[in-house]
Amino acid sequence: MAKVAIKIDGQPIEVEENSYVLEAARTLGIDIPTLCHYPYVTPYAACRICSVEARDGKGWSKVVTACNYPAWDGLEIVTDTPRVLRARRVNLEMLMSRSAPHPVLQRLADRLEIKEPRWGVGDNTCILCGLCVRVCDEIVGAHALTFSERGIFRKVSTPYDQETGDCILCGACAKVCPTGHIRMEDADGRSVIHKEFTLGPNAAITVPFRQSIPNIPKIDPAQCIYFVTGGCTVCSEACPKDCINFEDTERSEEIEVGTIILATGFKAFDAARLKRYGYGLYPNIITSVECEMMNNASGPTGGRVLLENGEQPRSIAIVHCVGSRDAHTNRYCSRVCCMYSLKLAHLVKERTGAEVYNFYIDMRTPGKGYEEFYERLLEENVHFIRGRVAEISDWALDPSEEGKLVIRVEDTLIGVVRRIPVDMVILSVGLEAQPDADDVRRMFNISCGKDGWFLERHPKLAPVSTFTDGVFLAGACQGPKDIPDCVAQAGAAAAEALALVDRGYVHIEPNTAAVDADQCSGCRTCTALCPYSAISIVADTLVAQVNEALCKGCGTCVAACPSGAMQQKHFTDEQILSEIRGVLAYV
Amino acid sequence: MKPQRLTSSQMLRDLKEDLVRRRSESGTIITVCAGTGCLACGCESVTAAFRAALQQDLSGADVEIRTTGCHGFCERGPLVVIQPEGIFYQRVKPSDAKLIVERTIKHGDLVRKLLYRDPLTGETIIHERDIPFYSKQMRLVFGKNGFMDPTSIHDYIALGGYEALAKALFTMQPEQIIDEVKKSGLRGRGGGGFPTGRKWQSCRKAKGHPRYVICNADEGDPGAFMDRSLLEGNPHAVIEGMIIGAFAIGSNDGLVYVRNEYPLAVKNLRLAIAAAREYGLLGKNILGSGLDFNIEISRGGGAFVCGESTALMASLEGKCGEPRAKYIHTVEAGLWNKPSNLNNVETWANVPLIIDKGAEWFASIGTAGSKGTKVFALTGRVNNTGLVEVPMGISLREIICDIGGGVPRNKRLKGVQTGGPSGGILRISENGSGAPGDKTTGETEAVNLIDLPVDFDELSKVGSMMGSGGMIVLDEDSCVVDVAKYFLTFLQEESCGKCLPCREGIRLMRNILIRISEGQGRSDDIDVLEDISQCLADTSLCDLGRSAPNPILSTIRYFREEYVAHIEHHTCPAGVCKALVSHAINEKCIGCHACFKVCPSDAIVGKPKELYTIDQEKCIQCGACYQICNYDAIDRVKRGQGERVQRRARELWKPRTKAEPVAAA
Amino acid sequence: MNLKVDTVTEPEEIISDIVKGYQRRPNALIMILQDVQAHYRYLPVAALDLVAAEMGLPRAQIYGVATFYRSFSLKPKGRNHICVCTGTACHVRQADVIVDKLQRDLAINPGETTPDMEYSLETVNCLGACALGPLVTANGVYYGNMTVAKVDKMLSQLGGKGTSDDSATEQAA
Repeated sequence: MAKVAIKIDGQPIEVEENSYVLEAARTLGIDIPTLCHYPYVTPYAACRICSVEARDGKGWSKVVTACNYPAWDGLEIVTDTPRVLRARRVNLEMLMSRSAPHPVLQRLADRLEIKEPRWGVGDNTCILCGLCVRVCDEIVGAHALTFSERGIFRKVSTPYDQETGDCILCGACAKVCPTGHIRMEDADGRSVIHKEFTLGPNAAITVPFRQSIPNIPKIDPAQCIYFVTGGCTVCSEACPKDCINFEDTERSEEIEVGTIILATGFKAFDAARLKRYGYGLYPNIITSVECEMMNNASGPTGGRVLLENGEQPRSIAIVHCVGSRDAHTNRYCSRVCCMYSLKLAHLVKERTGAEVYNFYIDMRTPGKGYEEFYERLLEENVHFIRGRVAEISDWALDPSEEGKLVIRVEDTLIGVVRRIPVDMVILSVGLEAQPDADDVRRMFNISCGKDGWFLERHPKLAPVSTFTDGVFLAGACQGPKDIPDCVAQAGAAAAEALALVDRGYVHIEPNTAAVDADQCSGCRTCTALCPYSAISIVADTLVAQVNEALCKGCGTCVAACPSGAMQQKHFTDEQILSEIRGVLAYV
Repeated sequence: MKPQRLTSSQMLRDLKEDLVRRRSESGTIITVCAGTGCLACGCESVTAAFRAALQQDLSGADVEIRTTGCHGFCERGPLVVIQPEGIFYQRVKPSDAKLIVERTIKHGDLVRKLLYRDPLTGETIIHERDIPFYSKQMRLVFGKNGFMDPTSIHDYIALGGYEALAKALFTMQPEQIIDEVKKSGLRGRGGGGFPTGRKWQSCRKAKGHPRYVICNADEGDPGAFMDRSLLEGNPHAVIEGMIIGAFAIGSNDGLVYVRNEYPLAVKNLRLAIAAAREYGLLGKNILGSGLDFNIEISRGGGAFVCGESTALMASLEGKCGEPRAKYIHTVEAGLWNKPSNLNNVETWANVPLIIDKGAEWFASIGTAGSKGTKVFALTGRVNNTGLVEVPMGISLREIICDIGGGVPRNKRLKGVQTGGPSGGILRISENGSGAPGDKTTGETEAVNLIDLPVDFDELSKVGSMMGSGGMIVLDEDSCVVDVAKYFLTFLQEESCGKCLPCREGIRLMRNILIRISEGQGRSDDIDVLEDISQCLADTSLCDLGRSAPNPILSTIRYFREEYVAHIEHHTCPAGVCKALVSHAINEKCIGCHACFKVCPSDAIVGKPKELYTIDQEKCIQCGACYQICNYDAIDRVKRGQGERVQRRARELWKPRTKAEPVAAA
Repeated sequence: MNLKVDTVTEPEEIISDIVKGYQRRPNALIMILQDVQAHYRYLPVAALDLVAAEMGLPRAQIYGVATFYRSFSLKPKGRNHICVCTGTACHVRQADVIVDKLQRDLAINPGETTPDMEYSLETVNCLGACALGPLVTANGVYYGNMTVAKVDKMLSQLGGKGTSDDSATEQAA
């Protein structure tokens, strides 16, 4: 494309012929105000705020809009002549006469020195900039928005001004709307969504949450327009470092290691399994995990405790032992729930001043400062009711229960069945082993205990080792525990692993198995049987080979080998037979 | 005669000779004007009556009935002109048909009562060409209208139609044609006045194919109906012009964008295109020249803004009629971003004349800057309303007073509005001095533009514009504030709403004028109007917005005193603005009962031959009584003064005796 | 002619025929919508959807076009369609009095339809018969030089079984 020489406010610049003057001005650092301009869509030139004077240096001049005026050789642009400023001022005053006040307009008014708009202000939040329509047409390709009517009745509409299936709920229009006339709203009117990891409209590219590590954006292919229609890629155009690669794919990598530490954690109990607690059936029943998200300052509500309609609760129930100490779900005690329930009780009471009720079976607060914390809560007037909650429902038996969730519980300390109406219920869910624990343990050749937790070598004396040498455990995958214990275990496992690495040698069994390669036919009977995964088949010779470091000398493979190629060192058939012969010599 | 495909200019010539021969052999032709105006007056029944009468009395005789396009003198319709003599009968009723057949056709006598009587001289005029309305005109573009049935291609060919096309295709090169049009000085007749030859040249030079040739028939100016009459009355002229243009520019695709409100124009154009196709004048290999060209008709949807070139093209692309910036001209990137040449109906109709008679002939008519003729729709407070075609440079006086016959009922001429809502109102007066009449209260610019020559640049210089040709005459009973308010109301409805200044500016200016017309004007209103006007003129996206201030600015310039009267004295000097006027009956009332019959709100009380009164509470100030009273008995006074007038009337009124002559107004 | 108000019966065929008649050309969109409107007396939403599908255009574009141009109505129109010309020449000849009179007699505003679907009232900017102002058309028939009294006459003619085929031709005084 040919280059032309133009001047803007006296500053010369070379630009492509027919490129728009506004962009050239911006590269020179000259800020021409705009309202209906957006770099990634075609200019609309509706607001006329970017009006500037175009001259040819020989006496001709004309007021033009910078956003779509094509550059030609010898063009001179002046951005702040009295004529242009006057026109911008009157235009903005006229716009304000129909629009509701908004910071975007106020900033421009201040810049143009408009003290009092002569024709007052209006109440229309749409400034008819057309950005939403253009974005939906040109970038998204959904064509769900249009201008309808004409003249003073002009407005932005969906087809027939109704909800339409053409809209793909991408939120681009809301994002680009300068005045917030277009908003994304939950369809059933809820303004707070208590589900995990939802931060509002499902953004295609987003930092998952403000404190995520690493704190960089990721693209959700299910929401990203590029993966749906092949269009957009605005993010890639905007990125100054060219970091966005749409063609990126998953890679598999093979790494050889000597030791492995498993720290695969736990899974929170799915409260929906307990139908009587109404999780997922009634609004404002959340799990403790969701409550943690809500309390976090970088969470969806900015740290405020809110009901789904956006108001603060005035009474909150915290139900202990959800999915723990329960014959129907998990018999064990999840160990951490009482303490975190007390913490939540303290937090929500502090933030909302609500009446807080904790429903517990036993209060388990072992260790340093924990019992004292419980006592402090008692002083803060948190209500503790000893009794497993029988049922949570929204059936009101009298007016005081209208619109509330009713906790039905036997208060065992006073021997009375009580109904307690509350605004919000927090279910303290227990800890469970990960659902794929069985698959993971097979991969690493270790065992799972009852309840699915990984099996340690010894519950008291070797809590971080497994029966497989070189594979260690750390944290809740070994059993429910709190953070200090997890940290301690992690240290222990790391130490054990480092000890192995540091020592440089391992003690092994002397009586390991060994393969007579000439006799071995590669039938693989031994490899399947070895409980320690110590036998492998060499790829090119197809002969079995024993890893002496792993072999524990159990002898299973020796017994099973059909050809007798597998022999145990210091325990071969010959040696045993000669021992027998030696004993029998005395007879 | 069977239609035949003409594959050479010789065949065209032969056909013409054949037709002319047949026609000169025939006898009388009864031409009945069938333009929309006369249609609305019931000319179809007149035609039917003629047919019935001929059937009865003169079956077999060599008399033809021909329904033609608009003759222009719509005021006097239904019009019947007997050819070849040119006997002009006006206001013909169906019952007159038999009479005409009996007297004029059979016996060559005249039916005196149907002849035109000049209201100024009282003279009865027999022949069309002698009637002042026609004699001062130069009917070139409309020349054939009175002689041809628009649905008959034979009529057009017999009158020399398509000869210019043959000349262009076979004896001229495209660049030559463009040069000829440039030399002729033809400027766009749609309002812009852009030199047509230059436009064709730019389009021809532009890169891109296909090229489009478009006819703008979206005549949206209220009060303008020239293009309608041309398309209804002589569509072939437009078609011929477009084909010549297509040849010159290098286009094979033609489009006509017609307003939806012109069903007859669409119908006649469609028939004409079909006929032209049949005769090999459209379609492939026109007249055997190798040129392929087709014309499609597209109807508008009812939007004035679609008369603007970029909005028209957006509408053709199936979108809303939103204009776009013209920094890149439509001749380079127009319809579908291809080079497009858009011209008005009247412009196209001028092209065959220029090619036929030559650029020099055309340039000899008119002024230095504006060549040829212009068709005006002369309406409003003037005796002879209708379509007039005059040479450029003719004065407003000649049009309004001579052709138009002056203002009816001896009212005072006050102003003339040209250019539609984009134009201005010029101050004119029949007395040469420009002195204000008794109904104004002081004035700023003592100006009288009645002798202004009609010319593109002259009209722009004085703050109006030629526009498409609407010319509306205003008399002392017209209030310019009301007219300006009317135009702003029109523009507010028609604004597309895309750009801020037009959408909001027109609304705000209109609100100010409403306030002024209701007596709520403020002292800074005129300054604010000028402020907003400047903003619109500078920053509007298209000419609708840019020229919207013209009615206001021109009325402030020439009739400032009227604004002052409204704002500072709360009166409407013309007696129009309803909130500022009271209607009252004075002592001149003779009790004729005419006003009683027209009052829409039953506000008039009285019995025949007695003094009537207007109930000041019920009166809605519509002015119907004022319009109908022939005795100057209705006074339009400042609001609230009505009862005083009627009290005085009661004191002074005397019943009329037979001896007293009545002084009719 | 039957007034189809709520339901759109067998629309696919009708609309497909109309669109095919114009060879699906985008420059014919306005004419297609006009033909659809002529058939149904207004533009039902279902019909607009079908036009969009047949033309391969977004529904939003069809809706934008249908609401931009004056000749389209998304609401059903009355059996008698009365149009008052409010062009400049007719305005200068007091067309607003005629509009007032019709407004009062029919008890609707311009742009509206009477509840019994008998009359629709509209104003239009210049019908091009300026010499005959004020001008009213009813069902396409032109009534020139209208006065308040003639409005009564016209309405009584329309209220009957048929529409008048001979318009009034009285001169203004």
